Amino acid sequence: MRSGWCLSGVLLLAAACAPPPAHTKVTPPGTAHASAVPHALVVDFRDGTPAEEVAERARRWGLPLHLNSVEGARSGIAIADGVEDVDAALARIRGDPDVEEAEPLIQLQALAFTPNDPEFPRQWNLRMIHMPEAWERSRGKGVVVAVIDTGIAYEDRGDFVQVPDLAGALFAAGYDFVHDTDHPNDDNGHGTHVAGTIAQRTHNGVGVAGVAFEARLMPLKVLDRSGLGNSADIADAIRWAVDHGAKVLNLSLGGPGYSGVMEHAVAYARSKGAVVVCAAGNSGTGQVSYPAAYPGAVAVGAVGPDGQLAPYSSWGEALDIVAPGGNTKLGPGNGILQATIDRTDFRKSVLAEYQGTSMATPHVAGVAALLFAAGAKTPDEVEKALFEGAESEGAWTPRAGHGRLDALGALEALGKTAPGVDWAPLVWSGALLALLLLSLQTRARPGYLNVLLNPATLLPLLLSTVGLWFLKLLWQRFVGHPPAAAEVLSLPLPDWERILFGRGRLASPLMYSALVPGVAALLALKWRALRPVVAGLALGFAGFLLYAAWAKAPGIAYLPFTFLARPWLVLNGVLAALLSRAMLRREARR
Amino acid sequence: MKIRGTVEFRDVEMGVWVLAGDDGRTYQLAGGRSTLLNEGQRVEIDGEVDEAAVGVAMVGPVLRVHGYKVV
Repeated sequence: MRSGWCLSGVLLLAAACAPPPAHTKVTPPGTAHASAVPHALVVDFRDGTPAEEVAERARRWGLPLHLNSVEGARSGIAIADGVEDVDAALARIRGDPDVEEAEPLIQLQALAFTPNDPEFPRQWNLRMIHMPEAWERSRGKGVVVAVIDTGIAYEDRGDFVQVPDLAGALFAAGYDFVHDTDHPNDDNGHGTHVAGTIAQRTHNGVGVAGVAFEARLMPLKVLDRSGLGNSADIADAIRWAVDHGAKVLNLSLGGPGYSGVMEHAVAYARSKGAVVVCAAGNSGTGQVSYPAAYPGAVAVGAVGPDGQLAPYSSWGEALDIVAPGGNTKLGPGNGILQATIDRTDFRKSVLAEYQGTSMATPHVAGVAALLFAAGAKTPDEVEKALFEGAESEGAWTPRAGHGRLDALGALEALGKTAPGVDWAPLVWSGALLALLLLSLQTRARPGYLNVLLNPATLLPLLLSTVGLWFLKLLWQRFVGHPPAAAEVLSLPLPDWERILFGRGRLASPLMYSALVPGVAALLALKWRALRPVVAGLALGFAGFLLYAAWAKAPGIAYLPFTFLARPWLVLNGVLAALLSRAMLRREARR
Repeated sequence: MKIRGTVEFRDVEMGVWVLAGDDGRTYQLAGGRSTLLNEGQRVEIDGEVDEAAVGVAMVGPVLRVHGYKVV
């Protein structure tokens, strides 16, 4: 009895001590270059060393030593520059009993690129997604981004005038589907604004900056002067874009009507390896507009400079991510600033501050281009990095998706290898098993190891907590690329459905519940031999669900309120545990 | 069809005129005379709803205006 309690105590402790998965992402500390400043050193005197003492040492050592700052009088930190031989001077200084530390002066330089565009300081949106740091890693070189919109003011032609800040930006040949010409110039201003956020000419001393300024813009005009268009032109443009080499498609447009033609075009683009980034809509309701709501599209909502969902932004079950789209209700300067053409006179270039999910979308498209340029090969890889790198306070939610876009976070997430097996649910199940056995009377209680060493129990336990993780590894080692079936079997059983039905944002309430072990228990009523199997299965589900509740992951589909997810997981976890207990006890009676 | 509501200007995207319909829906106004576009004006619009239209405003279905009267 006592050893049983000890065992369960140890297991519970192990489960509780395992750190929760890192859902809460904090801004990464500024990575920095460090280099020694020539002919300079720093001396740290004992705290409270008076300035006169420091001056006396300076004379004695023949160094131009002075306290570093007003803080120096307290901290005792003094520096000297113009030192002929730093090493020799340090050797002299280090012998002094009043000196705590003496070393060469180190210069720290944050790894960040600050463009010289004069209006860059007004672009809070680019700082919010950590562009200066991200630009040190990728600028989208060589990636073609299609802007499917009202066109781009990219050339001087007839009445059309190129926006000066786009001079020198890179363009791929595009098409005007509204007028059926090869010159998709902008007569509205929307498309040029969006294109600027993606790949505005940057560090050119003019105007503003863009996210992926070494990427190539492909202008595709599908919306007329009033900013309206139809699904046929848009579907054509989506296919045209991927057939002409675009890897990222930006669709800052939408409507309430479902179109099978457009949905197929989005699926086509994704199957050809392109990421389709779409605006979630500006209805301010819980209904994401189309094409953002189609499977395969990345739906982008908008936040203001305060990081809160903008009042106009649509949200809902189809939402993937949020990005800066501005909130002018917070006052001037809180929209998204870009160079474009005047909305009433397309011959005039202006800097304009707009707000909308259209403005949020190109931030995500730009970062997708950075990811492709940094080595991402597939849209799956890009989306995974976007979502994992996003700043969030936990699991997916209908008002923030996977979180707020973070360019640096996404690039860092891309570098990471695929996460290994998460053993925590198995540990939780082990602790639960110890507790369940202790709750049984001695005569009805099987031995802890007897249960675990029974393959009929152990196998379903592994299957429902960590999956047959070894299948995929063995396949890769001895056969080659594993088939889909092996991939699925390598996941914990409750997650199988998410694989079978594509990229799930939310877990199914049927699989993340006590339903599967419950049905299995019904079968075991008839066939007693199934009891050890059901015991393991239910125990695994219990550990998996309770761990999921503790780790705040994931959201559950179809529940009316997000906050119900955890009670749901706990309730079902407890149910599964009780089922397992019943199966274990009856087995012992036989 | 006829829809009653209030004409409003929404500052999203390039700016958009909408009809906040008495039916609870928001319609993006397209076409019609410029006298229609007065903030807060109560109107009954004769037009057709184009659910299939796609655009930059994304505030709701497009209402193509044939005519209107102030109510």
